[in-house]
Amino acid sequence: MTTAHHPGPDTPPLIPLHCLRHVEPGPPRQAALPTGTAVWLVTRHADVRQVLADPRLNRASLYAADAPRLMVTPNILDDPASLLNSDGPEHQRIRRTVQRAFTPRAIERWRPWVSSVVDELVADLVAAGPPVDAVAALTRQLPVAVISRLMALEGLDHERLAHWSDHALSATAYSAEEIAGAMREFGAFGHQLVVERRKNPGDDLVSSLVQAADQTGGVTEEQLTSLVCGLVVAGHETTMTTLGNALVYLLDEDRAAWRRIGADPEAASAATEQLLREIPLGDREVLPGLLRRAVEDVEIGGVLIPAGAVVAADAVSANHDPLVYPEGTPDLFAPLGTPSLTFGAGPHHCLGAWLARMELELGLHKLARRLPGLRLALPVEEIEWRQGLLTRSPQRLEVSW
Amino acid sequence: MTAAGPGAGGEVRVEVDRIRCVGTGLCAATAPDALELGADGRARALRAIAADSEELTEAAEMCPVEAISVRSAATGEQVAPRW
Repeated sequence: MTTAHHPGPDTPPLIPLHCLRHVEPGPPRQAALPTGTAVWLVTRHADVRQVLADPRLNRASLYAADAPRLMVTPNILDDPASLLNSDGPEHQRIRRTVQRAFTPRAIERWRPWVSSVVDELVADLVAAGPPVDAVAALTRQLPVAVISRLMALEGLDHERLAHWSDHALSATAYSAEEIAGAMREFGAFGHQLVVERRKNPGDDLVSSLVQAADQTGGVTEEQLTSLVCGLVVAGHETTMTTLGNALVYLLDEDRAAWRRIGADPEAASAATEQLLREIPLGDREVLPGLLRRAVEDVEIGGVLIPAGAVVAADAVSANHDPLVYPEGTPDLFAPLGTPSLTFGAGPHHCLGAWLARMELELGLHKLARRLPGLRLALPVEEIEWRQGLLTRSPQRLEVSW
Repeated sequence: MTAAGPGAGGEVRVEVDRIRCVGTGLCAATAPDALELGADGRARALRAIAADSEELTEAAEMCPVEAISVRSAATGEQVAPRW
């Protein structure tokens, strides 16, 4: 189990993610990962964007034989077979295969279905309360329901999925052996799914991936399995985290915005973009940014980063760069202009960005429309947090109306 | 031969919204004759007017932020991405 943080007399309460202070954007500076490995911390919007898009910095070299230690206990992000950790033409070929299922238009086809799932969850939540735990009733359920349907995983034990997912993105919650064991089991599950859908293809995402990969050729069975497992985890952990933390922000700080999100679907769409920009997914002490390694000397923001150096691209700071976005409390309904770096940039830009946006937008809009007077049932200082993972979000979120 | 229609062979105007572009390079990998990733990590059309092709349609539809538009040079009608 992840270690839930219970605030008590001896432990100061953790502050909500939207209250975390970001590093002031400035030139690249030296910092260290929790392993002690030296990194160049890059914080300005233009510089973060460059780090993520410049082919002289990549992911594969982070796992070369001479690479320094990145994680205290490696997790799914450290799998060398993954799409995330491949680069160049090889990566582009696989990415194009997968991308077809995630274009804005492909995702839009799922809207009526996602919408009906949200309606059901919101109706059940209303019937069960008040008070209700919004995590158990909505934020944990919605992304799992959506990815299960997309990948035709109906009947999958949700607790087993949560177990794999917690291990997959563990920072300190589990030992290396526990993570490796869970990932072996998860990998076996993923591979079985690939084999099964190759034999009996359906209209789900796994079947179309297997077909596309087999037609294109050159995608190894290991890469395909890693892709399927990656989609299962990426498809729900980050969305659950963002939705939970967005509820904390809106219900604690901006209940006028909450009512407007419920009244107007377009306002919900604009607010989703701003909330994605504004609220970090996790604590910077755990992971200061998206990691890359320089394969040759490269100048970033006027600083020479030598070949072999590790770079942390801090999208949280970049999302608050005063050269790009207005300072102070965000206007949730203002158009964003320049895209935020929450979904990254460059070849590894988040595959599921449109699916995540749709789930957040519909989840927030429909809950706020049904319950415009929704509020936190407990003070924000008493929130229990999921800890020891790369992401941080409420373990439970008691709400009332 | 009509100008519009994916891969119909007419002439099209290719535009990249360089503010939206997040530099995945998927378009340049898909339609290397029409699009490239610039040194600044943003895509650009090699020529404003190009021959329409299936690759170009695919490049515009594949863009994860819909930064690419392909329009008929003659009529201005959007050829890709199509909704």
